[in-house]
Amino acid sequence: MSDSTVPPIPPAPAAPSARPGLSVPDLLVALGVVLLGALLLAGTLRIPFGINAVVGPRVFPLIVSVGTLVLGVLLTVNVLRGGRAEPAAEEDTDPDAQPDLRQPGIILGGFLLGAALLQPLGFVLGTAIMYFSVGFAFGERRLPLLGGVALAVALVTYVVFTRGLGLTLPPGVLNGVL
Amino acid sequence: MDAVTSLLAGFETALTPLNLLWALIGVTLGTLVGVLPGIGPALTVALLLPVTAQLPPVSAFIMFAGIYYGGMFGGSTTSILLNTPGESSSIITALEGNKMARKGRAAAALATAAIGSFVAGTIGTILLTFAAPAIANVAVMIPPSAKFALIMLAFVTISATFGASPLRGLISLFFGLTIGLVGTDLQSGQARFTLGRPELLDGIEFVTVVIGLFAVGETLFVASRLRKDKASVIKLDGNASMTREDWRRSWKPWLRGTALGFPFGAIPAGGAEIPTFLSYTLERRLSKHPEEFGKGAIEGVAGPEAANNASAAGVLVPLLTLGLPTSATAAILLAAFQQYGLQPGPLLFVTNGDLVWGLIASLYIGNVMLLALNLPLAPVWARLLLIPRPFLYAGILVFSTVGVYSLNNSVFDLILLAIFGVIGYGMRRFDFPVTPAIIGVILGPVAESQFRTALQQSNGNPAIFLQSPLTVFILLTVLAALIVPAVLKARAARRV
Repeated sequence: MSDSTVPPIPPAPAAPSARPGLSVPDLLVALGVVLLGALLLAGTLRIPFGINAVVGPRVFPLIVSVGTLVLGVLLTVNVLRGGRAEPAAEEDTDPDAQPDLRQPGIILGGFLLGAALLQPLGFVLGTAIMYFSVGFAFGERRLPLLGGVALAVALVTYVVFTRGLGLTLPPGVLNGVL
Repeated sequence: MDAVTSLLAGFETALTPLNLLWALIGVTLGTLVGVLPGIGPALTVALLLPVTAQLPPVSAFIMFAGIYYGGMFGGSTTSILLNTPGESSSIITALEGNKMARKGRAAAALATAAIGSFVAGTIGTILLTFAAPAIANVAVMIPPSAKFALIMLAFVTISATFGASPLRGLISLFFGLTIGLVGTDLQSGQARFTLGRPELLDGIEFVTVVIGLFAVGETLFVASRLRKDKASVIKLDGNASMTREDWRRSWKPWLRGTALGFPFGAIPAGGAEIPTFLSYTLERRLSKHPEEFGKGAIEGVAGPEAANNASAAGVLVPLLTLGLPTSATAAILLAAFQQYGLQPGPLLFVTNGDLVWGLIASLYIGNVMLLALNLPLAPVWARLLLIPRPFLYAGILVFSTVGVYSLNNSVFDLILLAIFGVIGYGMRRFDFPVTPAIIGVILGPVAESQFRTALQQSNGNPAIFLQSPLTVFILLTVLAALIVPAVLKARAARRV
């Protein structure tokens, strides 16, 4: 979907140079907002006018898309004048750390792999893969322990949610065993 | 008095053993997620929505209310024992409370935060009890055009007026509005922005958006710049307790904090951040020990914590009487009402009186439970901060997956979750606040419906927005809320 283009993952950590000039990642984000606004506007114009409606289904999307476009242009101007964003400070982050995009990459990869295997292999193995990849990305290197905990958490979650709360989750290869 | 009778009936609902149990589960969960980093009350309620669909609404809301108040109590534990605030409204608590803890006064800091939260929460709930029905009586007469104007006011104040960067806040809001547009338009039956995917015809579940932006986005962001050294958690021996001297220095800041916090929560002013800062400034000015401020003054914990909790009670006033959420958690509570087919607003007091009053009564009960849970058990909660981060964040991701997958049993939703996770990462990296986007997703469709209803009443004549004096007044306020901060900033910049 078009929304995934905004804001894109920066290709490089924010401005390692000392020059307080133009920040390329910030510019890409700003242009991404402009692009989103343009795509929305194009999409809005393809919505048919409602029949018999005083206010059709186009009016509100039109306001939103034009607004997004204008805000995107304003942000672009701001960035071109040297504006840049400060990354957020969270409880477990180190504001001075050199950002490392490999770790979120591992999490995302593990998540998508787990999601793809969720139905063929089953919920337990799928979410265990996700758990393992997050733990690994967060620096846990006792792999047998991590793997064991991943399977245990996935299994307990599965049992609690299917037996206790009556949700239907795919059993996959463990069909019949559980 | 009417409110008292209704409240007593509410207590009858809330005091049944089963509902007491739900309240206890709620406050325990709330404290838990308030203490733990990476997960907060907004996210927890969103995660529980699919699971609680089977519960009777009263029980579900009693539990959600417990989570809402409990999150506030738990958050202060984290900011006092671990010098990194989870939410912007806890910055002050972290500032003074952590200094106190470092001086070996962690028990007193935790006690003044918990008792202050209890005092503020109780007074706030009393104010809510009497203000809400009065406002609801007036609010019944508000025309759709004024309702639309009120939503605009909430949009602007939350995203622009009180944020660090109005431009980034507004972009976040518009992103949320965009997500809210996806799906079939209910009035005309037209599909909008579905990109030809049948899965998108019903729109994007806000649960997916919330969990993606909050949980997955946070996990990705923290992983990219993880604190390598062990976070220094201050050890706590024994219960949270205060000396007579601490009481003497705390009670006035509690009351003053409450007085600041409640009104700021009740008007759409972007939550608890402003009143906590105001309370801190006020206490420093009034204190007999100004030299202690910045080094661990108990007044600097007592006042802001009370302001924080009072504003949490205040936020419920516009939510219950106007259907207007002014914080991320309130927005998710609004969505929870919608899931049960209820529309918060003035009529809710008439049509679902038992639900509303049961909810309000449970707030009193929850406050007492939280005090009992937080004072003696403070060391237990403190130990939660020692959970190794790899296992904690991995667990959060697995629960997020369950919550989203169980909405429709669809892997497509998990792909959406990943996309919103990446966007959530980007928002943290590029300083876009997440709350306006959440408000936009949930309130956007309501805004559109009020907008169209108003225009249909006037046969499409936009002058309807200028005919009612109330609407004009609110719209002028919206304009002022957008322009005045920018003008003030420009003037301040010129002076420097």
